[in-house]
Amino acid sequence: MKDLVIKVLGISGSPHRHGNTETLLDSFLDGAREAGAEVEKVVIKEISYSSCKGCNACHKTGECIIRDDVIGLIDKILAADCIAVASPIYSMGITAELKSLIDRAQYLWARKFILKTLYFSSDHIKKHKGLFISTAGLSWDNVFDAAFPAITAFFNGAGFEYYDNIIANNMDAFGGVKKHPTALKEAFEKGKKVVESLEKLNTPE
Amino acid sequence: MTIKILAFAGSPRRNGNSETLLDWVLASMREDPEVSVEKIALTEADVNPCKGCNACEKLNRCIQRDGWDPVHDKIIEADCIILAAPIFCMGINAQAKALIDRTQVFRSRKYVLKLPIVPEERKGKRLGIFLSTAGQNWPHVFDAAKPSVKCFFHVIEVRDADISYLTINGVDEKGAIVTHPTAKTDAEQLGHATITELKKRLAG
Repeated sequence: MKDLVIKVLGISGSPHRHGNTETLLDSFLDGAREAGAEVEKVVIKEISYSSCKGCNACHKTGECIIRDDVIGLIDKILAADCIAVASPIYSMGITAELKSLIDRAQYLWARKFILKTLYFSSDHIKKHKGLFISTAGLSWDNVFDAAFPAITAFFNGAGFEYYDNIIANNMDAFGGVKKHPTALKEAFEKGKKVVESLEKLNTPE
Repeated sequence: MTIKILAFAGSPRRNGNSETLLDWVLASMREDPEVSVEKIALTEADVNPCKGCNACEKLNRCIQRDGWDPVHDKIIEADCIILAAPIFCMGINAQAKALIDRTQVFRSRKYVLKLPIVPEERKGKRLGIFLSTAGQNWPHVFDAAKPSVKCFFHVIEVRDADISYLTINGVDEKGAIVTHPTAKTDAEQLGHATITELKKRLAG
């Protein structure tokens, strides 16, 4: 098992390149890389996909009728050991782009609950960790609350344990994540920690 | 007096459950000859997501030229704004979230540039309605949509107390709402009550 390499996939859901949320995600991915993980980042504004049409065709076939970049991305998600999904908070929720990706994963839900062709064992879920990374301009403590249920649904659908959040509010007052006293360091440490934890879980006693 | 109703059918599915709920509300409103209704189906409206560029904080307008432009003006003119959207994956569907995020220009106008959204005399006279449907039966299935909906109405100058909610869960397949025991009656009552309240406010 010396060749064990943990695959970490970061998904940046912001329309704004290299802003606070993506910077926080980068720090997390740097930590994961330092711990020896194979790291990839997908910036969803750079790929091409449309929103779920609500046609429910996947309820019959388990496949999405829209064949665009989302399909390859969801394949990558399913092949990863750890995913970090990042979005800023806009209007008390995740961005429309990230919600669009999450809505498109409906076909996984259909496979699990309608067609019963997809099943994740509790051991699989334990070895697949999902993190949500977010920043918000507002200082309110509850500013992330409405984002969590959709992220939970997404992780459940793809067979990931909702492992942790890396969230930082009050960005407007701090003048950006780089001026935040702890956020970037916390993200880096969590990146290291999750990879170490996954290595341990994947190493036989 | 003309009472202007602006309604958004937020679902990508035309004539599905959330739009049917909306149509019931609108039909009951149209019974009044003074009511003028415009319905916009977001799936055909070309309203793209916000780019997060914050240019509206300086320009007082969005830098994107798309279906948002006419929508922006209509939101200002309306006496009542209705947003109908289904719940997908425990949140409001992506197309409706895109509309909500584009109201960032109103937030910039209100809080950064400190300019009015509607003329002073129309403040406190606008009403909002959020209509939603969900396949899940969980009672909390609408909870995560509401903070974003409140943001939407807040920045377009509809007070929190002036938002009505009608949410119907347990309806998934197209047409499922038609057999729901109370949805149609509740929608019609809401439509009538809203017009009565608007008339009172606009006369006052």
